[in-house]
Amino acid sequence: MGTVLCESCGKPLYDDDGTAPLEMRYDGVARRSQKANPTWIDKIWNFFSSVKVAVYLIIITLCGAALGTIYPQENTFLNIDPETYYRETYGLSGFIYYKLGLSHTYESWWFIGLLVMIGTSLVVCSLDRVLPLYRALSKQQIRKHLNFLERQKVTYSGPIAAPEPARAPDAQEWVERMASHLRKKRYRVYTDGTALLAEKNRFSRWGPYINHIGLIIFLLAVVLRSLPGWHMDKHIGFPEGEIKPIPDTPYYLKNEKFTVEFYKPEEMSEQFRKKNETVPKLFETKAVLYECTANCGEPGKEPVLKEAARHDILVNHPLEYKGLMAYQFDYEMKPVLLSVKAMLKNKLTGKAYGPFLIKMRNPQTVYEAGPYRLQLKDYYPDFDINEQGQPVTKSSEPNAPAFIFLITGPDLPQQGETYMYFPRQIDKQRFRQDDINGATGSRFDITVGSMNDVEVSNYISYLNIRVDRALPFIWTGAAISMLGLILGFYWQHRRIWLRIDGDRLTLGAHTNKNWFGLRREVAAALEKMGMKVDPKSLEKR
Amino acid sequence: MNIAEWSGKFFLIAFILYTASFLGFVLSLTGRKWSNRDPQEHTRRWSRMAFFLSTAGLAGHLLFFFSRWYIAGHIPTSNMFEFMTFLGMMIMAAFSVVYLIYRTPILGAFAMPVGIVILAYAAVFPREVQPLIPALKSYWLYIHVTTAATGEAFFAVGFAAGLMYLLRTVDFGAKTKQARKQQRGVEFSLLVILIIIGFIGSIFAFRSIGYEAQFSRQVVTIDENGKEQVATQTVDYVLPPLIKPYNSETVQMQPFLGLTAPLAEAPSWMNGVNAGRKLNTVVWSIIAGLVLYGVLRLALRKPLGAAISPIMEGIDPEDLDEINYRAIAIGFPIFTLGALIFAMIWAAEAWGRFWGWDPKEVWALITWLFYSAFLHLRLSRGWQGSRSAWLSVIGFIVVMFTLIGVNLVIAGLHSYAGV
Ligand code: HEM
Repeated sequence: MGTVLCESCGKPLYDDDGTAPLEMRYDGVARRSQKANPTWIDKIWNFFSSVKVAVYLIIITLCGAALGTIYPQENTFLNIDPETYYRETYGLSGFIYYKLGLSHTYESWWFIGLLVMIGTSLVVCSLDRVLPLYRALSKQQIRKHLNFLERQKVTYSGPIAAPEPARAPDAQEWVERMASHLRKKRYRVYTDGTALLAEKNRFSRWGPYINHIGLIIFLLAVVLRSLPGWHMDKHIGFPEGEIKPIPDTPYYLKNEKFTVEFYKPEEMSEQFRKKNETVPKLFETKAVLYECTANCGEPGKEPVLKEAARHDILVNHPLEYKGLMAYQFDYEMKPVLLSVKAMLKNKLTGKAYGPFLIKMRNPQTVYEAGPYRLQLKDYYPDFDINEQGQPVTKSSEPNAPAFIFLITGPDLPQQGETYMYFPRQIDKQRFRQDDINGATGSRFDITVGSMNDVEVSNYISYLNIRVDRALPFIWTGAAISMLGLILGFYWQHRRIWLRIDGDRLTLGAHTNKNWFGLRREVAAALEKMGMKVDPKSLEKR
Repeated sequence: MNIAEWSGKFFLIAFILYTASFLGFVLSLTGRKWSNRDPQEHTRRWSRMAFFLSTAGLAGHLLFFFSRWYIAGHIPTSNMFEFMTFLGMMIMAAFSVVYLIYRTPILGAFAMPVGIVILAYAAVFPREVQPLIPALKSYWLYIHVTTAATGEAFFAVGFAAGLMYLLRTVDFGAKTKQARKQQRGVEFSLLVILIIIGFIGSIFAFRSIGYEAQFSRQVVTIDENGKEQVATQTVDYVLPPLIKPYNSETVQMQPFLGLTAPLAEAPSWMNGVNAGRKLNTVVWSIIAGLVLYGVLRLALRKPLGAAISPIMEGIDPEDLDEINYRAIAIGFPIFTLGALIFAMIWAAEAWGRFWGWDPKEVWALITWLFYSAFLHLRLSRGWQGSRSAWLSVIGFIVVMFTLIGVNLVIAGLHSYAGV
């Protein structure tokens, strides 16, 4: 099947004395997919240009997406072994679900394949139709074949009424008056003697294609995200007061203070108060973002940081800086010692020297305290004694920090004396600092004056750090798609053709949607011309 | 009286006005045959009055909405009660829009009850104003929820028109295989509606007599240090427990009609105490729906579809088809904007990702794909009339599953409190 209507006059090329309503899609013009002897390329083209295939693809995608919601997807859990998890939690059906790969439906090859096929179909289908449609709409003939008019879904024929009963109706004048009525209804009117074509809202025909272009851009943007560097998604814990690097970026972030607030009873409605529930009101991380300018990630060197941005991160109010986004994700209450301002006290003279700052993370190797010099020989952030009686650290987190210093200075042997220091009182007693230090311990003490000299982090704020460079394309695609939908659905392309033969009017009208509105408009126009017709009667069944 | 009490009153007034309006629309059609009156004049007068009532109801509903907004300090769409009342309000608004275009009283007789059932359903959920958790403090969330509900409201009107089309065109007397299939389909759709009504009815009935039962269950979990932690979960039933949660103990249970212990236990894969409660609720709803259906069926002595269809006499099915399509055509862009685009914007802002394959999101996508298949089939494959009507009925079932079923069956980020 190729072109079915004569392109200019609209006379049906086949079946030309039938009476059934005409096939008006694309005004009956041939499309590429309707070639007579298809090659294999044509066959693929035809496959993807078929709306029937598109609908199947949509339905299969829909069913596949639904399957993925039966059990939670793997990525909703942190740290599970899916092999055992699905079997243990959901029994045999869970195991089968996992084995079928449905526990990661949306990342599976077949699901992504379906999306790619929909994308291809969108491209091919739109190309296949938009050109013929454009051609058909840009060269329209005003005078149409009678058979074309009578076989429209909205059609009328009858004698024209005279403007005044005394005068005989004049066809030319009748068409002029009809044209001016239709213009008032915002139609673009073309006349050709006693024939007329009125058309409005042609742009609405491009709506579906604009929508499809938007969808294509959207799908392409989704594909782009899988390229390296376009997408990052990490969860990082930031203890208060600590500057931590963000991996794979030149940035460091400091959580200056984390706050969690709960609703007070007087802020709740009376009924809700009775439930006795605590409801969080606010999670806030006062964050400072630094950009590293030198010595970045070089071991043993202090990175040079420059403040880049400062933001109070709330849920729904992420920090954003040049495409890097930090979202409030979670928090944990966990007191961690960060640093102390210590004094070195000579117990014999009673004199104290300092203060000097000892950081629990990446401590300096040398400290000066008056005439004394403390050199860090060893550091155990999470101190413990193992089964062989040797000192070890259980982790790199400063849960029980222990420092071994070599102290040199006046009245001390040349090679110095070792001194072990536990900043936390509890560790000091547990590991018996005084006993370990022995004689040195009776001469020196490292002390901290008051709580003001101790820096502690109470909370760890977990932030979700993201980079998503495809986002602007996603939004552009969505916006274009939406524009297309609005154009296509809230306006309709309406055309009215008419011709007068003798004093007989024949009218046909077509719209792509909302026939009810078109019938009403045609009936109203005819009524203006003194011909009362019921809108319903215009409909051809 | 304080504002909170007024707010509740407005809701009640709106509900009563809607119900009155529904009866008005029904009488505008069934009353045509009353003696000494002109049928057309009767329909015109009664339907005008009914539309006035529904508009007054909508005004009351808006007062409820804005007064609650004022009390809560945020747009009231943040829990199931508030969301469902909002959806009901938008269905009434969508009905009004479509009614003003087409002026067919029969639409009132079918679209009003859809809205009324949604409102009654809303009333099942806890009504108190709740404080907002941080994730819900976003304008985009409200824009998303309200726009999506507006789109869904037009789908609801399309559903009403589709159902009407079927009731108008299915030949309830015919005995051919094809006709039988259609008849059964209509009966089934009506039964689903009755099950929802059965759900609402049984919750209200047992709540009014103050029924209670409680179960507890020990849950063993392994914490991060490898230690076993035992926690006790309890769950309260408002409906008599035909089914108790898997592996649970009865804490207390009022006897009901000789039922002193649960009849069965939920299957093991229904983990968690709430799963058992939800299953019990579903079973009760189905029983109540079937009982309702049985009673109606006995009273009418014929299938419900056949009993309702005479009201459709003289209505042009083409008009109903047109209304069905038009409602969906109006709703589709709004739904796309609200349920997908605004949802993505909100998700990007709150969770840092525009799409996360959360079950609720997936079902919104499924709804959208379904309606887009509908539109393609209609435009390019000429699926009009009864095929279109069936798709519209099924489409709205998908919408309702997305709104209710997903929360009942699958829990996700969006889960509101349940019954
Ligand atoms: C699978 C690939 C797709 C193909 C091949 C396709 C094809 C088409 C075609 C040929 C039309 C008719 C245009 C006309 O005759 O003027 C159309 C209309 C439309 N398409 Fe698609 N489409 C596809 C996917 C989608 C998707 C995923 C959507 C999502 C919403 C969509 C939304 C629409 C809409 C809204 C219309 C207008 C329908 C109407 O006016 O009633 N399409 N599409």
